[in-house]
Amino acid sequence: MEREMQGQSRKRREFLKLAGLGAVAGAAAVVGAKQEVRAEEVAGRRRAGYQLSEHVRRVYELARF
Amino acid sequence: MKEEARERAAEVETERSRALLYGLLSRLLAAPPDAQLLRQLSRLEGDETAIGTALAGLAAAAQRLSAAAVREEYEALFVGLGRGELLPYASWYLTGFLYERPLAELRAELGRLGIVRREGNPEPEDHIASVLEVMAGLADGRFGRVDLTLQKRFFERHLDSWGVRFFADLAQARAADFYREVAKLGRVLLEIERVAFAMVD
Repeated sequence: MEREMQGQSRKRREFLKLAGLGAVAGAAAVVGAKQEVRAEEVAGRRRAGYQLSEHVRRVYELARF
Repeated sequence: MKEEARERAAEVETERSRALLYGLLSRLLAAPPDAQLLRQLSRLEGDETAIGTALAGLAAAAQRLSAAAVREEYEALFVGLGRGELLPYASWYLTGFLYERPLAELRAELGRLGIVRREGNPEPEDHIASVLEVMAGLADGRFGRVDLTLQKRFFERHLDSWGVRFFADLAQARAADFYREVAKLGRVLLEIERVAFAMVD
């Protein structure tokens, strides 16, 4: 069972490696530098409320139609 | 023993790479890149793999475009009220309305995982950037132990069910230029992940 699991995980890893996900060193440097600024934090800072309320308004218009 | 250690190191590197790509996509979809990030992206080197090709495309777009242009593009795609505007929310994609059941299901799942929305973030949790950020965290162990079965379930229920359509829409959006490359990277990552998760019980 343990051996099967390992075989399965090796197969997956080999597939990921072939697809280019073995090691993305370049992307690591880029994202690593930005790790401090997390997506949700960024999302929270931008135009608080504005985008959302506009979206909601538009959805209501569509719904009415 | 040495062989085992090598195996383990390769495994850690692979999972970290997945987390980094989810993180990069999340960052770019949460807000446009500033000049510094764009410069870093422009230096990305690709290779002949599917991910490498997508990263090379992103690098080329980053070399070609200014941060101001990408910001304008981002606003036209996600903030403006034009016809080409996208609504990057799971609920919208799965039901045609915001704040519907897919959001409630995601919130319940996040509750079980102990993940809460950052205070002051007005975006509902089913924004594509949030969902991608959760995948990044599940992959790199930020939220606790790394569990592939859990990742597979989260991926299937909360991302793969609509993410591919979202990235297809983004790739075809009128305003998309830099974000067309972001969309290509997103689509290829989801496609690879779907196949890889099929190898997980």
